[in-house]
Amino acid sequence: MSTQERIRSNRLDRMAALAGAGARVGMNYLKHYGRQAISGQADPDALQEKNASEVFRTFSELKGGPLKLAQMLSIDQSLLPPAYAKQFARAQYSAPPLSYPLVVRTFRREFGKDPRDIFDTFEPQAAHAASIGQVHRATRGGREFAVKVQYPGVAESLRSDLAVVKPIALQILGLRERDVAAYFREVETRLLEETDYEKELSSAMHLSAACAHLPQIRFPEYHPEFSTRRVITMDWMDGETFDVFADGPAPQDLRDSIGQALWDFYAHQIHDLRVFHADPHPGNFLVSGDKLCVLDFGCTKTIDAAFHAKQFAFLDPTLETNPARLAATMESMAILLPSDTPAQRAHLMTLCKRSLELLSRPFRSPRFDFGDPAFMSAIYELGEENRKNDALRGIRGQRGSADTIYLNRTFFGLYSLLTRLRARVQAPIPTGLVFE
Amino acid sequence: MENRTRILEAYTAHLREHGTPPHTVHAFCKSLDLGERDFFHEFASLESVESAIWGDWISRLATSVSSGAEWKDFSARHRYLTFLFAFTESSLDWRSLMLTRFSHLAPVASPPFLKAFEEHFKTFAADIISHGISTGEIASRGPLQAFYPAVLYIHFRAVISFLLKDESQRFERTDAFIEKTVAFAFDVIRTQAIDSAFDLARFLTPSVWGKMS
Repeated sequence: MSTQERIRSNRLDRMAALAGAGARVGMNYLKHYGRQAISGQADPDALQEKNASEVFRTFSELKGGPLKLAQMLSIDQSLLPPAYAKQFARAQYSAPPLSYPLVVRTFRREFGKDPRDIFDTFEPQAAHAASIGQVHRATRGGREFAVKVQYPGVAESLRSDLAVVKPIALQILGLRERDVAAYFREVETRLLEETDYEKELSSAMHLSAACAHLPQIRFPEYHPEFSTRRVITMDWMDGETFDVFADGPAPQDLRDSIGQALWDFYAHQIHDLRVFHADPHPGNFLVSGDKLCVLDFGCTKTIDAAFHAKQFAFLDPTLETNPARLAATMESMAILLPSDTPAQRAHLMTLCKRSLELLSRPFRSPRFDFGDPAFMSAIYELGEENRKNDALRGIRGQRGSADTIYLNRTFFGLYSLLTRLRARVQAPIPTGLVFE
Repeated sequence: MENRTRILEAYTAHLREHGTPPHTVHAFCKSLDLGERDFFHEFASLESVESAIWGDWISRLATSVSSGAEWKDFSARHRYLTFLFAFTESSLDWRSLMLTRFSHLAPVASPPFLKAFEEHFKTFAADIISHGISTGEIASRGPLQAFYPAVLYIHFRAVISFLLKDESQRFERTDAFIEKTVAFAFDVIRTQAIDSAFDLARFLTPSVWGKMS
């Protein structure tokens, strides 16, 4: 059976599939408690892992909205239990392809020609899938191309997808609507933006030119002449997928050097360009020799200088010992609000201090070892603790800037990637930051 | 130009222009400067002219897609998809006419003017089905599979109603509709779902009767 035949066909089907996942999660709980009753002991982590993979399987079968939603929710580790967050952070590879006749149809609509009239060869089977499209391998005049084709009508169906999926997803994942309202709005905006291939093409060309001087970063060359709002053509890049490289036998010095390249790439974008690739996901990178190839610019984010200054003011080392300064910095980002009670204020400040101590660790040491699993676990644990903290839940949501979501997503993704690489990285506090 | 072609073109032009068929053969022939004898030599009625217009469209499309270089390598599912996508592409030239002639139709039954349209489609669908059966893509089910072309025709009509109501940019949602419904339909044809449904129906029918009596 081809993978394509597993696509869920309509809304009703999708709901049925999600209900199926809910039922399987329920079954796992039953088994779990059954085992507990018989043996008197059970492993709650194992249960959560199992549930996460059930939900993940369903979401990736549904493609599009639900898969993306799962990914977005996994950005904020305080929203999802660690087992879910880990599964979803890896989403993307398993989405099923669209049929070749539909690819041909899309080409005829976009270019007025068949793919094989434009390229010398064009592989009917997709080389790999993305959440809203898929990539085909093609050649022309001896040159190899990766041609990314978008699902037709995906932008229009996303809204209805999310509307259907949201309540069920919340139920399965055990989230409360008001906790995640901001994320759902965010997902919708991002998704619609990701369907705009013309924008993606221009961001890709802009960012790859602005990062061309980074010695270990490679970008495919983009081909606007074979790109439209539904198709993007770029050079084919050979290399190992990031996952394969990270889990493979690569020596430590190569891990360090790839990790450093990744860090420097992000530092340059965030601090110098203030435009960045906001989706540091293993599926967006390839490793080729000692070079890191960056493949996908569907999700880029621009921040302004004022926001940048306010956000990275949190890197000021004196904040840990100077509560007044910390409070002022938090106020400037609307994390502390004038309406907060003294108890809430104290609570938030303690939390912020703990997060800062943890999240700025890479910046504090001359060479930070992401290979130490304790670091990511501590982040997950802190998130888990916050997630369970009802006092905090009540006051989350309306705080902070929407831009912070992107930065969090980016840093969380970046830390996850570096942890998978087990890289040791020099992460100095960016030059040019002034802590008044 | 031979009379058949002249008649078809004039009739199409009339439909496009007025949104309704000509009232009488006589009036139609007069406007075409054609003898009635010549008209009836080609067609038995005005309705059969329109039937030929829609029918010819389907058979032209079927010939055109099945002569493509990749056709012989395609599975039944891909063949059917290719046909439907060629149809939606070609329908851009016919959209206004389809809106006047198809919009008010009941979804299943064909009016007389779609007789040839339905026949050509079913012949083509039967070819696709037998290709699918020969490759094992579609399970052979004896007499039951005679209904497959009819089922595909109902699907095809559903595609047309979706297309005519589609307001999305360049009718992209219709493409997605086709992709998804065909995947679903072929899943059903391939699996035992139909057998199970019939088995269940056979099982339930007497008991329902039993209760009623």
